[in-house]
Amino acid sequence: MAEISRHNSFKPVMACLSSGKGGVGKTSLTVNLAFALAQKGLRVLVVDGDLGLANVDVLLGLQVKTSIHDILDRDADPMEVVVYVEPRLGILPASSGVPDLAKLGPEDHQQLGSILLPIAQNFDFVLVDTAAGIGSSVLWFNTFVDYNILVLTPDPTAMTDAYALIKVLSRDYRRQTFHLLLNQVKNEAEARQVYDHLARVASHFLNLHLEYLGAVPQDASVSKGVRHQKPFIKIAPQSKAAMAIMSHAERLRGWAAQKAASRKTAGEAGG
Amino acid sequence: MQTPLCSLTECPFGAEDCPLCAEVQRLQGECERLRELSHTDALTGLFNRRYLMAALDQEKERTRRTGLPTSLIMIDLDHFKRINDTYGHQAGDEALKWATHLWRKSLRRIDILCRYGGEEFAVILPGTRLNAAVRAAKRLQAAMEKAPMALLGRVVPLTASFGVDTYVHTEELTSRAFIKRTDQYLLEAKIKGRNQVCCRKPEKSKQSMEVTVDERSVLYGGLILPVKGKARKK
Repeated sequence: MAEISRHNSFKPVMACLSSGKGGVGKTSLTVNLAFALAQKGLRVLVVDGDLGLANVDVLLGLQVKTSIHDILDRDADPMEVVVYVEPRLGILPASSGVPDLAKLGPEDHQQLGSILLPIAQNFDFVLVDTAAGIGSSVLWFNTFVDYNILVLTPDPTAMTDAYALIKVLSRDYRRQTFHLLLNQVKNEAEARQVYDHLARVASHFLNLHLEYLGAVPQDASVSKGVRHQKPFIKIAPQSKAAMAIMSHAERLRGWAAQKAASRKTAGEAGG
Repeated sequence: MQTPLCSLTECPFGAEDCPLCAEVQRLQGECERLRELSHTDALTGLFNRRYLMAALDQEKERTRRTGLPTSLIMIDLDHFKRINDTYGHQAGDEALKWATHLWRKSLRRIDILCRYGGEEFAVILPGTRLNAAVRAAKRLQAAMEKAPMALLGRVVPLTASFGVDTYVHTEELTSRAFIKRTDQYLLEAKIKGRNQVCCRKPEKSKQSMEVTVDERSVLYGGLILPVKGKARKK
């Protein structure tokens, strides 16, 4: 996997939401977390990492004219491709039905990294919504970011696929910290139980400690949001799911604050 | 594309009559012929060892950039010395030509078949995974079985041993080391009794990547493991 040369200049916190299994609500959680972070005053970029089969734009009802595809293949200006849905919230859309982009090689990933870094510098937080599965781009995005968030629902297939992805990333790509975000749970107890099982397997077989990021409960407002192509934290801010998202966004904001603090310390030490 | 030393359109004598232009053209043709010769094996018409090394370097670079694997088959004709000793060197040469003729027909246009030296050959298979390369090697083996060689009016059974290996983009490996590694599988085929295909064992890491039965049992809560203590806390 190609190594990206890190710029010395400002770099935001980057996190990746992946799942292994499709249909666990990754895109919906990414978009809602992004809106929540923006609401908390952060400048947020959502990267649609499902390069060949995009759906962030669909979820938000956006009319997308250009995408990552145009930056890679037609030298489109990256800053013009970013669609602002709110003053502090930008979306970098991908293309739907472009098989070439679903199979990028190491050199393409290197190019993608060199495109993403300058765009990212205009934001405080970058959230990447990756494709399902353990394809090369999913793995690459997960090594490119600072934080790996695994989204899963409390069913055995989602648990197995999330674990498989953790296993590949830890063994082959030396990622060591994973944050679990449970979706569509009945209650906190169910979420904790799923987390406990996964954490126990990861500890025993991979010698890894998994972090519990939190859970988002089953909630009718989530599917209502998808149907209306609007984030559920906007159309039902008082819903259980929206409250959960706001609370998890606070954790994510903590990551950004932590990074800003360490940058400040480094700056003071250096200057 | 090379720039001609003498521009034929601008020759003051006219290109047809100019002795200098004629000489330049002859030298250009000669250069082309020598270039061809420098990477061709005279007997079989295949690419030679020098070309193999250059092509392998290039394909490995392609693998590093695209992520598509490059496979290599090393081939050795079995008991070739016996043919030379029994029927003479000319017959041996015929056998080499016969085998390469058969293999050429069984390979794809993008595959690069080279004479590595003596009765040893190499095939570079660009953008090819291990299992596809093993299938290709088995096709080469089958081609020899289907069309037995006739030497001096007699059917002479000739077989070959095959070693197959694959280079993936995450590996740091010189072309020479890649050939050496593949040669070990060829050696294994020889030791196991010749006329067979041996290859790198299918990705060990891939097998261990699969979620095992034990892991599944714990995941679904059926099996309780002793608490090992937190491995690492960030």
